[in-house]
Amino acid sequence: MMGQLPLLGRIAARHLAGRRRQTLVAVSGVAVGVGFFLAVSAMMIGSQNDFIKTLIDAAPHIIISDELRSPHPQPGVEVHKGAAIDLRHYKVRNEVRGLRGWPEILRAVNAQPGAIGSPSLTGAITLRSGGREEALTVIGVDPSVEEKVSSVADKLRTGHLRDLESTQGGIIIGEEMAQRLGLGMGDVVGATSASGKSRSMRIVGLFKRGQSQLGPSAGYVLLREAQSLLGRPFIVNRIGVHLDDPYGAQPVARRLEMRFSYKAESWQERSADFLSLLVTRNVIMYSVVSAILLVASFGIYTVVSNSVTDKRRDIAIMRSIGFSERDLQLIFVFEGLALALIGIFAGWLLGYGLMAILGSLKFPIAGDNQYLPLDRSPRQYAIAAAASLLSGVIAAWLPARKAAKVDPVDILRGAV
Amino acid sequence: MNAILEAGGLSRNLPGTPPVSLVTDVSLAIQPASFVAIVGPSGCGKSSLLYLLGLLDRPSSGSLRFQERDMNSLDGDERAQIRLANFGFVFQFHFLLPEFTALENVLLPMRRLGRLPLPDARAKAAALLTEVGLGAKMDKTPDRLSGGERQRVAIARAIANDPVLVLGDEPTGNLDSQNSARVVEMFRALAHDQGRAVVCVTHDPDVAAAADVQISMLDGRISGTDVRR
Repeated sequence: MMGQLPLLGRIAARHLAGRRRQTLVAVSGVAVGVGFFLAVSAMMIGSQNDFIKTLIDAAPHIIISDELRSPHPQPGVEVHKGAAIDLRHYKVRNEVRGLRGWPEILRAVNAQPGAIGSPSLTGAITLRSGGREEALTVIGVDPSVEEKVSSVADKLRTGHLRDLESTQGGIIIGEEMAQRLGLGMGDVVGATSASGKSRSMRIVGLFKRGQSQLGPSAGYVLLREAQSLLGRPFIVNRIGVHLDDPYGAQPVARRLEMRFSYKAESWQERSADFLSLLVTRNVIMYSVVSAILLVASFGIYTVVSNSVTDKRRDIAIMRSIGFSERDLQLIFVFEGLALALIGIFAGWLLGYGLMAILGSLKFPIAGDNQYLPLDRSPRQYAIAAAASLLSGVIAAWLPARKAAKVDPVDILRGAV
Repeated sequence: MNAILEAGGLSRNLPGTPPVSLVTDVSLAIQPASFVAIVGPSGCGKSSLLYLLGLLDRPSSGSLRFQERDMNSLDGDERAQIRLANFGFVFQFHFLLPEFTALENVLLPMRRLGRLPLPDARAKAAALLTEVGLGAKMDKTPDRLSGGERQRVAIARAIANDPVLVLGDEPTGNLDSQNSARVVEMFRALAHDQGRAVVCVTHDPDVAAAADVQISMLDGRISGTDVRR
């Protein structure tokens, strides 16, 4: 049985060789389908990965902040659980803002496998220079730890996060704000906090513009600098957590929140809206691309269908020689298979070429030359091949059934 | 000697209102090493009978036994296998596959049967073509051959698998007298020298005259049988 396949394949190949133009059109159809599938999916998946990476790394994977999801219950309610108690008009205790017992939280974070926590204090200050004033959200960090937790360091146009440690009163602000204040690297600027404290600071670094996650009015100083400037010594109101496996952020965040009752927000929770957008994008991409591949398989259908019609005499003679119905069906399925395979191979080359072209395009965004993020994983090649092969075989199988049903007697009787 | 092919009360109708009767109640026996001609006017059902005998068509009623096996109970694949291994067809319009050379056309049934390894099959196909006088034209495609040459290729192909039964459907119908005579001679040799049974549907008086048995048909029935030898 298996011994027949090469013979049937040869017959199929001869049939295709006899109709070069149609074969070329059908193969091109598949090739264009596969090629564009690869190019489009490389861009879509590439940009999606890039986007998710930006989402993940824009901020720490988990942020523990000094917010509570719900206020502490009143002691009276605690004591008489489930009792018919309704407390009203009680005097609310003034809670000191900040993470209470943050060293303990930090220890618990660092005890998690693959996790690093970076404590920080955020507050509002005003920068003053030559009569101009700008409000700044100042973030006090420990540079050596913060570097490991967030991608802040990558977003610096000039300077290093570590320069905060080596320069007395160092501050890092955004390019735009520096421009508005008419300042540059190494310039001194006056900083005033709401608590009335004031001091001069020296600019040791500038952020690139257009960092939406940082915002144009954020700046970095040393943690203890922020604590003293804001008049909140030893206070920390945020712990950023970096995980080796960012996709495991949700359960870790839940556990931390359960234990310390401070709000621990994972990047997924923060970006739920974006993630659901990506699902829609993928659905759109795969439906458009499947349509391309489906249309390509129409070409295969046409070629095989025409071949069956043209070869009715040959079908009759082969049946009379002793070829079975299945043999003839296989011959025509092989024709479709061959078209699909050649098309897939050509499509791979086309897709590879398109990706090379797309990958070489430069896009100036905010003064930076950027390249399209492309996903060139072999997985896309495999998906394109499998989808085309399947649709090609189905497209060939439909007319091939006709070949099996040709009654040789009808042909022989009416033969001319 | 036992007949290799035996038909009993064979009928073939085309369904419809009223049904068309192609072959009605035909009984015959084909002996090995005999050359049988079926003659009759156009539309008398002789080709339809040949397709029934050659397992290309199924009878509406009646029995057909090949080498004492009932053929009606076999499915399509089994009948195809019997055609492949035991029957050889020669048609009026020498149906060769146009994309294949003469040699490849002769090889086709051998490769499908797969009994001989490819080099042996090639050698045998070449020998068969040489035997029919086409040793020099083996690598030509059918469109480069004359009508008589194509028909000789078709004969070589028909006997490629050493069939016990060769069936001809007007094999000389499209040939000039010289080529016809040659084909008739070949058919006689297939029967008398090689011991095959040859059944030929024909209008050609020369073919009919060369046959050992002449079966006449009229309106789907056998109207006479003339045994010469």
